[in-house]
Amino acid sequence: MTSTMTQETVPLLQVRDLRIAFRTDKKNTFEALKGISFDVPDNSTVALVGESGSGKSVSSLAVMGLLPEQTTIIHPGASIRFAGRELLGLPLRERRALCGKDIAMIFQEPMSSLNPVFTAGYQISEVLRLHMGMDQRAARARTLELLDEVGIPDPQRKIDAYPSQLSGGQQQRVMIAMAIACQPRLLIADEPTTALDVTIQQQIMDLIARLQRERRMAVLFITHDLGLVGEIADRVIVMRHGQVREEGAAAQVFGAPTDAYTRALLHCRPSLNARPLRLPVIDDYLSGRAAPGQALAQRVRGTTPGDEPVLVVKNLAKSFWLREGLFGKREFKAVKDVSFTLGRGKTLGVVGESGSGKTTVGLTLLRLHRATGGTALFEGRDLLAMSDREYQAYKRRIQIIFQNPYASLNPRFTVGQILEEPMRIHSIGANEMERSTLARGLLGRVGLPDAAYGRYPHEFSGGQRQRIAIARCLTMQPEILVCDESVSALDVSVQAQVLNLLQDLQDEFGMSYIFISHDLSVVKYISDQVMVMHHGSVVEMADSDELYRNPQHPYTRSLLAAIPRSVL
Amino acid sequence: MTTLHQHSAGLWTLAWRRLRADRVAMAALALVAGFLLLVLLSSTGLVASDWEDEVGVNYAPPSFVGADATARALARAQLPRETPPNAFDPLADELSELKAQVRESHPPVEKRTTLLFGADKWGHDIVKKTIKGGETSIVVGLVAALLAVMLGTLFGAVSGFFGGWVDDLFNWFYSIFTAIPSILMILTVAAVLQQKGVATIVLILGLTGWTGPYRLMRAEYIKHGAREYVMAANAIGASSWSRMFGHILPNVSHVALVQMSILVVGFIKAEVILSFLGFGVPVGTVSWGSMLNEAQNELILGKWWQLAAAAGAMALLVTSFSLFADALRDALDPKIK
Amino acid sequence: MFAYVLRRLWQMLPTMGGVVLLVFFLFNWVGGDPAYLLAGKMADANAIENIRRQLGTDQPYTVQLWIFVKQILTFDFGNAWSTGEPVSHIIASRLGPSLTVLIPLTILETGFGIALALGIAFLRGSLTDRAVMVACTVGMSISILVYIIVFQYVFAYQWGLFPVQGWGNSLGENLLRYALLPIIIGLAVSIAPTLRLYRSFVLDEVGQDYVRTARAKGLKESRIVWVHVLRNAAIPIITHVMANLPALLIGAFLLERFFGIPGIGREVILAVERSDFPVIKAITVYVAAATMVFNLLADLLYQAVDPRVQLK
Repeated sequence: MTSTMTQETVPLLQVRDLRIAFRTDKKNTFEALKGISFDVPDNSTVALVGESGSGKSVSSLAVMGLLPEQTTIIHPGASIRFAGRELLGLPLRERRALCGKDIAMIFQEPMSSLNPVFTAGYQISEVLRLHMGMDQRAARARTLELLDEVGIPDPQRKIDAYPSQLSGGQQQRVMIAMAIACQPRLLIADEPTTALDVTIQQQIMDLIARLQRERRMAVLFITHDLGLVGEIADRVIVMRHGQVREEGAAAQVFGAPTDAYTRALLHCRPSLNARPLRLPVIDDYLSGRAAPGQALAQRVRGTTPGDEPVLVVKNLAKSFWLREGLFGKREFKAVKDVSFTLGRGKTLGVVGESGSGKTTVGLTLLRLHRATGGTALFEGRDLLAMSDREYQAYKRRIQIIFQNPYASLNPRFTVGQILEEPMRIHSIGANEMERSTLARGLLGRVGLPDAAYGRYPHEFSGGQRQRIAIARCLTMQPEILVCDESVSALDVSVQAQVLNLLQDLQDEFGMSYIFISHDLSVVKYISDQVMVMHHGSVVEMADSDELYRNPQHPYTRSLLAAIPRSVL
Repeated sequence: MTTLHQHSAGLWTLAWRRLRADRVAMAALALVAGFLLLVLLSSTGLVASDWEDEVGVNYAPPSFVGADATARALARAQLPRETPPNAFDPLADELSELKAQVRESHPPVEKRTTLLFGADKWGHDIVKKTIKGGETSIVVGLVAALLAVMLGTLFGAVSGFFGGWVDDLFNWFYSIFTAIPSILMILTVAAVLQQKGVATIVLILGLTGWTGPYRLMRAEYIKHGAREYVMAANAIGASSWSRMFGHILPNVSHVALVQMSILVVGFIKAEVILSFLGFGVPVGTVSWGSMLNEAQNELILGKWWQLAAAAGAMALLVTSFSLFADALRDALDPKIK
Repeated sequence: MFAYVLRRLWQMLPTMGGVVLLVFFLFNWVGGDPAYLLAGKMADANAIENIRRQLGTDQPYTVQLWIFVKQILTFDFGNAWSTGEPVSHIIASRLGPSLTVLIPLTILETGFGIALALGIAFLRGSLTDRAVMVACTVGMSISILVYIIVFQYVFAYQWGLFPVQGWGNSLGENLLRYALLPIIIGLAVSIAPTLRLYRSFVLDEVGQDYVRTARAKGLKESRIVWVHVLRNAAIPIITHVMANLPALLIGAFLLERFFGIPGIGREVILAVERSDFPVIKAITVYVAAATMVFNLLADLLYQAVDPRVQLK
């Protein structure tokens, strides 16, 4: 079909003017894609980047034909051509013949994307038997080869393992094996690493890059993190609100982006090299206020011996008991012997992967879990040893912002009620009128419109809900604020806004933060001091600049090595 | 999607809007409302209070079928006859005076040969019986369901929220009550409580039916108790009581409501079966179950109208209630992010 | 696993104890003095005292409780008050007829339910699907009494296809002649709720991520439903069937009563009508025990079928 002599070859996947709307109820529709066009050439990696709501996943599902028939409207002028063949309008049987064979897809959540009641080997050989016509024995032999190729240790045993018996990274490898089994020409990877830990993330990225090279297949890599794909992408497509904002070779997009939104995406993320006073936000770029080469005033961070300690934690420990055997209980030590000192007006960053115990530290300090051991001295009194009644008076002085903005606000309360409840409990404000005024004032302080007062949480975006949560904490004017992965669930652009807000509040009110996160760049940006946790223990603690410049512990070094090196 | 209104739509408003758009649900709701209205009228005595009057001949067929020869013969036979004058009766004059007085105040009414939906063995109007029976069954269903859901919610909330020994205690009760199949439980209690009556049935059904709501509400409270908004409420200092009933309950009340509508249906059916077996309402009260009991024997004689009336009314009510309950559950489906 | 079984049996003891206490409380306390009932209308004080001594109701409650516990452990509840037949014999002899109806009924009901539920899953959201669901709702709203009365009248009485009532002596005769109409009615009554429930199980699975993966692999829709989804939906279906079996024993009481089948359910009704306490007590305790054992079996089966579950 293509002449090997000419430079101009027909791209493997051609999407033209794809317009897709979803029927939300009987009358309304929601336009997810507003007419996008892009190409995926053969034997290359194309990154499709966009924040939530950009329509990137919808595009890939449309290629595979996985969108729900009854609620999806694809406009007639759209075209998706694969190897010269028009996919839209193809009868279902022929579409299904392509899927799994010539085009394969892997998804974000490997745990739920694998059938829990069949073994890994069964699910991989299913594709081989269906598309390649192999018999049982041949399929099993080939499955073993595939498991080895994707880097599963001990394939002989893992082939008969159920998904629940595999780790997250291994599950994703099995998904990849399933996808490449029939030598697809195009592999679509929809946020394959988002749900994985940083170190595993790097391994899976390397695996996909290696497979692409060895098999010479095309990879369409979908992600929300532009920095992630800097190393593996040949071409980059940036989407926003259902439209393509920029498309081009990776070097060009990263080095000299033409679109303001792309520029914003590249610069909103806190980088390891700079620490501006305020992170630039999307609006700054879209309105032209910021320019890429602009030198920004830097903020100095670090601890000094003269800092006034506001919280002194010694030997904090928390264990959970799990049932085991006939009558016994097994102890699971989530937090073992954590000690630190938090200075007034300073930020302590707590960094670690899932299972490191960092979230448990935060929850235990707030007495949402009962500590198994240790002390937390605040104004000379041990917060952990007090009775519940004594602690009630201290509750307003140490507060927490949770990770999931969609779950931390009561869906049945209006914003006004959410803000006024703590005031009522702690007798802030003399009467309802005063409380209402205070609440509205705080809404303005966190950058929300006054009309938000009477609305319900479901009408707000993730970033706005975090602001409401911050406002709720502010009603009590706490001295210590624990931010438990508070920006992890937010888009990069929104993340920058919330980080700026947190920083402004710290500057204004002198609050001390304990900032818990798995994202090393964010932690470096916002913290004065960083504590690295692994399996419940503190492996290293130092001033943030010092830690990133000179990591001592091997685990810290491996964490830093796994940070995707964005091309900045 | 942003409006300029001060207060935007909450869960119930949104659910109502969704419900209104569903035509089947609205039709079902209308039917249910109609039944409830009848219940109200019947219980206050405005309608069907005279169901015990024997206004028809025995087994009078429905009007749309038409009177048959037997019915007409019975009607004639049952007319009060004049006794022939007795010359030897010393009280004849007084008696005829009295008889004249009675005739004036209580004129003899000829028994009807057909009624709107026929009559039963004693000549009672089937339509009135059906309405009265409906009152019994529906009241039992509603009150028992309310009792069961209230108990189940209270126990489930305390159990799910506090955990620990409280949870163990209620779980112990739960496993005892569920180890015995509910029918057996009901029959056992009926055997032991010698007295019959609507109140007794309501108590039996309510005190044995709390287990379903308990399990669901306990699961909901465990799920919500671990959610961040409840932890946040704890962090800002809200009390346990406030967290359980101020924060969590508004988020799970729709589950309780749906449970209740399911239980109403189940309890109506259970009451009918109980009354059929004779363990339900006492003799003087009519219920769809007692009607079905009589209908069983009538069918062999070819009299099908009592069966049709009771079965039809019950089917209509239960179907519309079930359809409405399903639509309610879909409307309340809290995918409100 | 042995440790798990042992621990579950250990946990059953307080529940069993609770059941015993509850039954005791109901019959010996709330139930009042049965002596008057049994003595008849014109009994004199002597006869009543006699009966009390025989029943043991003149003893203090703790002694009565101990007698009750002994009865349970020795499977000997004495004789039925109304017929004088030994209670254990009653239960043993009635079990057979009940099972003759129940076992075929359960097998047919589950089989039809699964097949119909999977079939409907293909058509989900379509007009046929909604029509079937409404038909199920209507079917469920007609009382089982009506089904029995009408079916018995039409098929047995009028058309003479089946015997109206009765029970035979041999298993074959019972199964093929007397049990048929009850089984058909049982199927007709239960197919609607079963279909609704199984359909919800199946639809829960169809919405899962692994189904999307299966489609992405290019599998045929029929294979996805019959292999991938069914295997997952089978888990709640199996546990549902297992857990409900003991309840079915009693639940068939209406069928048994109408058709004169000498089963456990009918026995319970008769005992309640005659206030025959020993029979009711014995059946209640044994059915409760059976329910707990079946729940344990269901959990063990659950573990065998669902690889995610690890019983500890």
